[in-house]
Amino acid sequence: MHEPRDFLFWPARVLPHLALLVALLGLWEWAVASGSVDTIMVPRPSAIMAAIFELYVTKGSIYQHFFITLAEAVFGFLIGAGVAIALAVSSSLSENFERYVSPYAVVLNVTPGIALTPIIIAWFGYGMGSKIALAAVICFFPIFVNTLTGLRQTDPDREELFRSFGASRRQVFTQLRVPAALPLMFAGLKIGLTTALIGAVVAEFAQATAGVGVLMSRFSFALDMASSLATLLSMTLIGLLLFYTMEFLDDRVVFWRRDARMSAVSRARARAWASGAEK
Amino acid sequence: MNTMQSSAQAATAARRGIVIEGRDVGKSFGGGSVIALEGASFSVKAGSFVSLVGPSGCGKSTLLRLIAGLIDRTSGQLTVHGRDVKGPHSDVGMMFQRATLLEWRTAIENVLLPVELQRTVTAADRARATELLAMVGLKDFAFSFPSQLSGGMQQRVALARLLQTGADILLLDEPFGALDEFTRERLNIELMRIVGEVGATTLFVTHNILEAIFLADEVMVMTPRPGRLARMVHVPFARPRTPELTLTPEFNALVAEVRDILGTH
Repeated sequence: MHEPRDFLFWPARVLPHLALLVALLGLWEWAVASGSVDTIMVPRPSAIMAAIFELYVTKGSIYQHFFITLAEAVFGFLIGAGVAIALAVSSSLSENFERYVSPYAVVLNVTPGIALTPIIIAWFGYGMGSKIALAAVICFFPIFVNTLTGLRQTDPDREELFRSFGASRRQVFTQLRVPAALPLMFAGLKIGLTTALIGAVVAEFAQATAGVGVLMSRFSFALDMASSLATLLSMTLIGLLLFYTMEFLDDRVVFWRRDARMSAVSRARARAWASGAEK
Repeated sequence: MNTMQSSAQAATAARRGIVIEGRDVGKSFGGGSVIALEGASFSVKAGSFVSLVGPSGCGKSTLLRLIAGLIDRTSGQLTVHGRDVKGPHSDVGMMFQRATLLEWRTAIENVLLPVELQRTVTAADRARATELLAMVGLKDFAFSFPSQLSGGMQQRVALARLLQTGADILLLDEPFGALDEFTRERLNIELMRIVGEVGATTLFVTHNILEAIFLADEVMVMTPRPGRLARMVHVPFARPRTPELTLTPEFNALVAEVRDILGTH
């Protein structure tokens, strides 16, 4: 990781990126202004900036939709992840259970989850329920598979060691299998959270009363491409927010895979030990 | 009746100073089609260091696992402290070629694992863990995670963890086999010192004849397919031993003797 003093040199790293971005936007602006591109279909960057300013600052009308889509993705993810982890844990504990569950999991995976949209909307209606349901369905599989794969990795030497210490089956599971599965499980959760956002937005495109997806559809139908692109930015923001939340959690939970975090945890445990010894 | 008999057996075994005794111990897999070990009869004295030496497939590791109760024998009798071995028991502790530490626990938390799996950790356990880490030379690395330690240091943690179990019989399955020559030699010498300090009975599996003799009071020489215990060779050298011992004619005569047993069987 970066040394703290690297922070002082951040402009040196950031400036070239900014320069490139400005150059690309300038090129775009110039191409549209020169008349070689249709201004209705492809708005100028300056027009998009104006739309962003209106949606996010002067009117502020985006936020209601922003939070609805965010909530749909998050709730869908929580439900999908909860079911996926519960089934993966049960499958890892019982071969019979796995035998009966895995065909359904595979069928669910090979069927394009997005294709369920009309059915899910028919079942759950135009409101948030159908968006949450679709998000849950399509984020299920990557979490299920990663968690199950993680729990199934067995290290015969370590299992034997636990047995020689007289560990119960339950202890082998909670103290060995689960921690060993966490890195893969979190990899699955990261993919799942991004997938859940896709599910929520696609369901909104199909049929909805609120959310950034339906807002974007409306702008596009009205050929207000600048506002449509300005709305797209909110999806990027939701995506980034979700991504960094997961990265943060991953960093905290699976700390032993990250050198910088490991040193911090090491120091924290040393302090905790010292204060425990004083008592 | 039964318990009286077994406690009487235990008493006799203790009087003779024998902690592990095997008579015609055998182990076969796949319903008898693969014989891993056959007719092993031996006894191990309390506090002695016994090396098990032999080529791959001679049943050294199988014998260790039988004594630990991790696998069940298919024939013969096997007692530890005069008690019949049935399933894992707390009289023995094992150590493997791989350190098998938990990478999400610090060194000292790894050392405390065997205690944690049995009961609540006390202040005395914590003090003991600190002491053991100091004994294996890792006083300053108590809060390091395994991936922050070298291979040799990881094995030292594994050794401290083994001693934390309080087991008086240590079963070591090529514990330093994956380490480089220099580290291994140094750890072997430290192992002798530490084992002497805690007064544990030690069974040490290796396929290195020099190492086997250098460390041990007795060398069990084993031959393969099916695994058989060929001979017990007594090692008379005084302790503490230094690496110079391996250069003496007496030492080399023993090496030749063990080679001869392995070669002629």
